[in-house]
Amino acid sequence: MGAAIEQSEPLKIVIVGHVDHGKSTLIGRLFYDTGSIPEVRYREIEATCKAQGREFEFAYLMDALEEERDQNITIDTASTYFKTAKRPYVIIDAPGHKQFLKNMITGAARADAAILLVDGAEGVREQTRRHAYVLSLLGIRQVIVVVNKLDIVGYDRAVFHAVENDIRSFLHAVGIAPSFVIPVSAREGENMANRLGHTPWYAGPTVLEALDTFSDTAVDEDLPLRLPVQDVYKWDGRRIYAGRVEAGVVRPGDDVVFLPSGKKTRIKTVEKWQEPALARARAGECIGITTEDELFVERGEVIAPADQPPSLAREIRASVFWLAEVPFLSGKTYTLKLGTAEVEATVVSIEERLDSSTLEVTERRAPELSPTEVGTVVFSLKNDIAVDQCADNARLGRFVLEDGVHIGGGGIVRSVSDGAGLSARRIDLGAKRIDGDEGNVVDLTSERGNVEFDVSAGFLDALAKGNRVLIRLRDLSQLAPIGLLAYEHSFRFEFSRSGDRINVILCNS
Amino acid sequence: MADHLDALEAQSIYIFREAYRKFDNLAMLYSIGKDSTTMIHLARKAFFGRIPFPLVHIDTSYKYPEMIAYRDRMAAEWDANLIVGQNREALAEGMGPDKGRLVCCEKLKTDGLSRIIEEHDFHGLFLGIRRDEEGSRAKERVFSPRDRNFEWAYKDQPPELWDQYNTNFAPGTHIRVHPILHWTELDIWEYIRREKIEICSLYFARDGKRFRSLGCMPCTKPIDSTAVTVDEIIEELKTIKAPERAGRAQDQENAYAMQKLRAKGYM
Repeated sequence: MGAAIEQSEPLKIVIVGHVDHGKSTLIGRLFYDTGSIPEVRYREIEATCKAQGREFEFAYLMDALEEERDQNITIDTASTYFKTAKRPYVIIDAPGHKQFLKNMITGAARADAAILLVDGAEGVREQTRRHAYVLSLLGIRQVIVVVNKLDIVGYDRAVFHAVENDIRSFLHAVGIAPSFVIPVSAREGENMANRLGHTPWYAGPTVLEALDTFSDTAVDEDLPLRLPVQDVYKWDGRRIYAGRVEAGVVRPGDDVVFLPSGKKTRIKTVEKWQEPALARARAGECIGITTEDELFVERGEVIAPADQPPSLAREIRASVFWLAEVPFLSGKTYTLKLGTAEVEATVVSIEERLDSSTLEVTERRAPELSPTEVGTVVFSLKNDIAVDQCADNARLGRFVLEDGVHIGGGGIVRSVSDGAGLSARRIDLGAKRIDGDEGNVVDLTSERGNVEFDVSAGFLDALAKGNRVLIRLRDLSQLAPIGLLAYEHSFRFEFSRSGDRINVILCNS
Repeated sequence: MADHLDALEAQSIYIFREAYRKFDNLAMLYSIGKDSTTMIHLARKAFFGRIPFPLVHIDTSYKYPEMIAYRDRMAAEWDANLIVGQNREALAEGMGPDKGRLVCCEKLKTDGLSRIIEEHDFHGLFLGIRRDEEGSRAKERVFSPRDRNFEWAYKDQPPELWDQYNTNFAPGTHIRVHPILHWTELDIWEYIRREKIEICSLYFARDGKRFRSLGCMPCTKPIDSTAVTVDEIIEELKTIKAPERAGRAQDQENAYAMQKLRAKGYM
């Protein structure tokens, strides 16, 4: 092999943000500053721009389709490559227009890291927030916020900080802690690869320096083995189970279970073409295995350690994002594809419908989700499937939904159950509290299954000061965790019933 | 997995196995070039040495004789089922680049291909295109549906998330599967070196010239080069500034030539 740089995996970064906040210019600048634009390409763009009577437009590097250039918009995702001294990068451009959200998500789903772009003059906008939320749902944790176009506002420090505060508080709400928030002008090149001296008040890294601190999102070898069966080849008188190791390590001699069938056996061989006797295979490798016993199992089963299996789910609660033009409907049955498994999934309840740009719950027990909306959804599955919660293992905790012939949306698994009731859902009472006509109200009437409560210091404090909180219950089963909470914190609770409504008032004793 | 080539290889194998499981009547388009030759090597890895579908070569009759000889020798070595397609009707009517390069590509390649697909009722085709080759290819999905008329709806492609591909399509749709979409030109050559894959001799310099991208004789120009080994080609690529397809005349016909060709079914 050649120099070390060729062997390192390129970091895949997606650039997202509101339309016209400068994505294409930022990408062009990264290429230009790293010397990644081929001379011929540069001249070709120059000529196209000249023919259209415009200034040189970096955007043309990525927007290759005729419609994209004529209308000056990005329609679909594209990938381009550049290198720093440290390593190679792949940039995945993602369209900013709302109607191309499915293309943005298609691009972003492949990324290890993201640059979220905000126009410094215009501030946080609808797509800024929607894209940020999508990043959190896709599980992208390495995020740089770039506050762009600061040249337009004279590199005003106060303007930058106002935008920074705004975006930080929104990201906090979706569980993303940005690694860096960087003031830049992509057009002039300030704080991209170089410091031009316009922001002496900024002490942090440039965009390229910030990118160089990120790591490839390595597939996890430390988690328990997860090997979904992709196909079974019955060749040369042998049964080879083909698949990719999604997590952990597999070795000959391992005691394993196939789920959901529950069949147990021992790994006999781990193979690749021309390497029939591998000592092991790690997460990310595509292999074949044979087993000690001749089992008849199918695509969709997951091979796991007998002592650390995934959950067998018959019902799951998930965050779903919807992309198709036809709405996502409560009561409808979709095909849910998770790992290599496919199962019919009926929407039992859309517990919460969210505006993905504000994160406001716009409706509880909603009948449908419109395109670009997000919801908390409970699915009932026709057959058991093997899953992990997304927080434990994203590779077996995320899925897509097929609506008819196309993928209509995706989601991540929040909690699972075997059909006898979902495992307890943790509810933050502080975050759920709203100001109602009756004072402080927490509405639990749309929660299904078991709940557990988390309470913040502020919530406890409010009660200690003599405030009362009205909690509306769905049914009596929710009373037990409230009783436990009251007991643990020496609170009093009063239970009342009026008509079909069950209420509890929690207060200081 | 630390190694970049291992990661690329694993992704390609995953795609091959997914398509093979999901679609009947698949074929692989073989253009004799470095990319599709590498793609065949990856298919053999995916299927433990086999190529469980036919290879299809669309012969425009304007190919270099070295390419055809190499093709036949390799197909025999791989024990592959090679199908050669040709738009004989168009050739009989004298189709050639002198009638216009884009018209010629459309007649001899696109139409040649759709005839073969119809004749054999292929439901899907593996193609060795890469995102870094050219702008409209950068926009492709891994599993890309084409309608009854082989047209690509590039303005309204289905979403593709993680490794979940669209595998259900309306009747009459055919699917193009792109197992090496995520590779770059340099990745391909580094993999050829690592795996010792035999590549058509036209890629190596002779009399100060070599081909960087192989196509038809009238429309493909070699580049100035002294690279006679894979190592030397890799070194050369690191310094070269010209795009890979600069020697392919049909791309230069107009600014969106490739997009227009590809929307109608060109590879």
